[in-house]
This record gives sequence, C-alpha cells and structure tokens, in this order.
Amino acid sequence: MTSLAIFSKDDSISPRRSRFVSLLFHTLLMVVSIIMLYPLLWMLSASIRPEAEIFSSTSLLPSSIDLSSYWQGWTGLRVEFGQFFWNSLVISVLSVAGNVVACSLAAYAFARLKFAGRNFWFAIMLGTLMIPYHVTLIPQYVLFLKLGWVDTILPLVVPKFLAVDAFFIFLMVQFFRGIPRELDEAARMDGCSAWRIYWKIMLPLSTPVLATAAIFSFLWTWDDFFGPLIYLNDMNNYTVQLGLRSFVDSSGSSQWGGLFAMSTLSLVPVFFFFLFFQRLLIEGIATTGLKR
Amino acid sequence: MGNKMTGRPAVAIAAAGPPHHPPQVPQHRQRKPQPTSWFGRTWQGSGPGYMFLLPWFIGFFGLTLGPAIVSFYLSFTDFDLLRSPNWVGMANYVRIATSDPKFAASMGVTLFFVLFSVPLKLAFALGVAVVLNRGIRGLPVYRAVFYLPSLLGTSVAIAVLWRQLFASDGLVNSILAEFGIQGPSWISHPSYSIWTLIILSIWQFGSPMIIFLAGLRQIPTDMYEAASLDGASKLRQFIKITLPLLTPVIFFNAVVQTIDAFKAFTPAFIISGGTGGPINSTLFYTLYLYQEAFGFFRMGYASALAWVLVVIIALFTAFSFLTARFWVHYDD
Repeated sequence: MTSLAIFSKDDSISPRRSRFVSLLFHTLLMVVSIIMLYPLLWMLSASIRPEAEIFSSTSLLPSSIDLSSYWQGWTGLRVEFGQFFWNSLVISVLSVAGNVVACSLAAYAFARLKFAGRNFWFAIMLGTLMIPYHVTLIPQYVLFLKLGWVDTILPLVVPKFLAVDAFFIFLMVQFFRGIPRELDEAARMDGCSAWRIYWKIMLPLSTPVLATAAIFSFLWTWDDFFGPLIYLNDMNNYTVQLGLRSFVDSSGSSQWGGLFAMSTLSLVPVFFFFLFFQRLLIEGIATTGLKR
Repeated sequence: MGNKMTGRPAVAIAAAGPPHHPPQVPQHRQRKPQPTSWFGRTWQGSGPGYMFLLPWFIGFFGLTLGPAIVSFYLSFTDFDLLRSPNWVGMANYVRIATSDPKFAASMGVTLFFVLFSVPLKLAFALGVAVVLNRGIRGLPVYRAVFYLPSLLGTSVAIAVLWRQLFASDGLVNSILAEFGIQGPSWISHPSYSIWTLIILSIWQFGSPMIIFLAGLRQIPTDMYEAASLDGASKLRQFIKITLPLLTPVIFFNAVVQTIDAFKAFTPAFIISGGTGGPINSTLFYTLYLYQEAFGFFRMGYASALAWVLVVIIALFTAFSFLTARFWVHYDD
C-alpha cells in the first residue's frame, strides 16, 4: 500500500491493518466531501427543476429538467441580469488591469531600483496591509462624492490603478526578488533604462505571479459586495452581487427558482477559474497565505 | 561602471591611491557630475524609483493616509455628510463606551463569532490536512473539493443559499423532517442565527487547510521514522512532533482568520436582510458601522466606530504576538 509510505517503517502496523485504516480515512473524507458539496449541488439542481418541486424534495436529481427558472430570474427585476453581468465584467476587467499595472510598477521599484528612503516606504507599504478598510471608508466616500463619482464605476476602479491593494505589491516584490539579478545588471551595462528592463525583462519573466495577481483580483472584484453596495445606487449600474441582493429583497421567498438560477450563474466565472487555474490558486495560497 | 573599458575592477583603482592626473577613462555614457552635498548624494539616482512608485504614492497619500487622518478627525465631530462637521470632542467615544446598547450588542456578536468560528474552522482545517497528508490516494481531488467552498464562499450567491438552507422550510429542516424532527427556523431564531454564520465560516475551511498542508510537507519524514523506531504511537507523534513544528503555521492562520472574522460583512447582511436581526443576533460590528454611516449618515460616529475596531484588531494582534513566544516553536 503505497498510500501509507510515510509510515511503512512502523512495525506495529500490519499491512492488513494499514489497509483498513486507509479505507476508514477514505470513507471519512468522502462523507465530508459529500456534506460540503451537497448544498452547492442542491442549488444547481433546484435551479433546473420545476418551481413547485424545489421544496418538496431533498434529492439532487430533478424529476424533469425545466430551465424556465433561468428566464424568470434573468428578467425578474426591472433591469435584466445581463446588464448586471456586463457591469460586473467591466469593473472586474478594469480592476485586473489596474492592479497588474500599478502593483507591478511599485513592486519593481521596491525590488530592484535604488532610491532614497526605499526601506522606509517599503515598511509603510507593508503597514498599509494591516489597516482595515473601515478607517478610510468614510473620507474616501466623501472624496468620491465631491468628485461626482458616486453612482459610477470610478470609485471601484480608479483606486486599483493607484495600487491600493498592497497585497499584490508584496506578492510581486517576493517574486521579482527571485529573478536572477545578473539579467538586469547585464541589461543595465548595455545601457538599458529602468523602464526597458521592467518592460522587456521583468514582466516577461513574471507571468506566473502576474497571472496569480490577475486571477485573485478578478475573483475579489467579482465577489465584492461592500464597494458596489456603497457606491452604486441606480439599478442600471448594479453588479451581479447587488442584483442578487435586490432579488432577495424584492421577491422574498416567492421566487426561489429564479434566485437560485441567477445565484448559480453568478458563480460560473468563479467556478471557471477554479477548474482551469486551480494549481495557480492553490500555489498562491500555499506560498503566500492568501486568505481565500 | 565607468572603468568598464579598462578591464580593472573598481577596487583596484581605489587601492592605487590618488593618481597624479585624473585617469582618462573613456566613458561610454556621459555621467552627471557627482553632487557634493549630503542632500544631493542622498537623492542621486532616486528619480526612476520615485517615477515607478508614482501611482502608489498618489494612492497612498490620496486614498490611504489622507483619508485615515481625516477619519480620525471626523471621529471627534458630528459629521452627517450634509452640514460641515462640528467638533464634539470625545463625545462619540464616550457614547461608545458608556451608552450605546447597539455597540455592546454588535461587539458581543462579533466576539462570539470570532471566538467560535476561528478555532472550529482551524481545527477542522488541521484535522483534514493531517488526514490528507498521510499520502492518501486522490489527494488532488479531495483538496479541490475542500477548497471549492472557500473560493465561492464570500459571494452573495452563497449567502442567499445559506438563507434558504436554514429557513423554516429550508433544506436542513426538510432533511431533519425525514428523520421525524421538526426543526426551528434557524435564521429567524435569535439563539441559532449566529450559528448559521459560524457554520458558513467553517464550511470555508479550505484555504487554511491548504496552508496547513504546505506546512505539514515541510516536516522531515525522518523525524517520524526515528520516533516510530523508538516506539512512539501515532497520537504521541502528532502531539510531540507534528503540532510543535506546525505552530508557526497555526499562528499565522489564527491571526489571518481572526482579522478576517472581525471584518466579516456580506453573509450577515444578506441573511438578516441588512438588519442584523433577529434582535441584533447577527449584528456584526461592520454591519452596525455600515448602518450608522450609510443608513443614518452619522458619519462622525461611524468614524469613531471604525477607529475602535482598529484598536480592537490591533490589540488582538498584539496579544497574539506577545503570547506567541510561549507556544510558537521556531526552528532555528
């Protein structure tokens, strides 16, 4: 049994017993897996079964497939969900661009350039990681209100272009420091400017960390509820998360089918990243302690 | 770099002493004359660094430091967004400390949530990670399944789902009914509602589990081999080897998850419909702050609430770091 290779030198455990232990653990893990996935699968199946059947059944298999919930949900509010998806997509894509550009610029300066006060500013940057957003929330709101930006996507997007997500700077600094210094030293000898070194050497060599930052900033922005809740008032500007919340408020429990259908749809982009970039996500968490 | 053409290292030139005449080193780039003042020397060559940091500087001063200072000032005022703020001294803080039942309620709910959700979540994450780390087959599949909820968990869709699961006619009660148990309406009962949020938090144990797995992999296997040759039982190995060597990771996870739990907002907002009810039983601190700031526009008071939160998180973190030296084992 290779699965217990670590403990194979343990004489007190016979092969038969170890096989039994292994079976026990597999059973345990499978039970936990089923319990954990059950609500998700139930929601998926609730969204594709006839409305009347949703509460009469705890099983995962619908008696017949009925996609009318999706149509009901899509048009369930004054504004169609398509608009919310589009708004969410625009905000998320712009946030990704902002984070990747602004954070990599700052990270390059911290990791490679020599300038007066570098260590001081680096410490300050790390310090901003500790500040809860609640402290800056109200003055930021007043600022954006005065600028006339409330009820536009600007308060949600512009800060990303100013590298306020310091976590990504930290992540990139760590990665940039791992790139051999000889490469940019050589380029500097040949008269390369800092800008060209950043653009032609650092960025092309950093695709893994740029991809990790891009994926996490997409997911965080897509899932963000608090920011849009504060800054977006007109339903035409709502993100998917705000749309779902309005759906809960307006329909109460009368339209669970449509609500589940839209909830399921809102998770599709996240699930897509889970399927195709799982390794990057898991490595990102394992190496840097990201919290999601 | 100016001596590149001479082929001699810079040290050699320096060691040769002052030359009779300045060495005519052919320069391939014209260098600026060295500034002689301390100020000039300090800032020499800093230009590109500050250029690259420009966006961050604007963000730091305009969106972080500036607002933090303003928020500190506002916390001593009665600012309500419409009229200009009036200085009220310590009044907001005095009210928080002495005569705000909702502050006390929300702090109680939040501390309850932190004290139960964080240890339970971490215990679960550690338990599953230890089982997975036995070199079990299908590790990637299990890991993916356990990670998925923590990736999806913060979205409104999951909070909506949770609201249904624990409703009076929800899935949980349907399952209980099959065993002949009549369950209560979990989300609208003041003593159970907070537990639905704690369960939601535990359900997302995936990412601390991944961090634990990475930590477990760092523990050298020969330690276990030596221990079992000496006849140590599995349990003893876990207590004497695994746990001590894993304490830095446990510490890290505990601090991160605690700070995160203090900041939780979305699930309580969605499950209680923004009210924090029933009877303030899910009134998370952040939810109360939101109500004060954007429901009643008591921005001055909400600023004071924000600073109290900062102080509490800072105290918690400082306390963790102070106690860390008594139980966190650093391998050196």
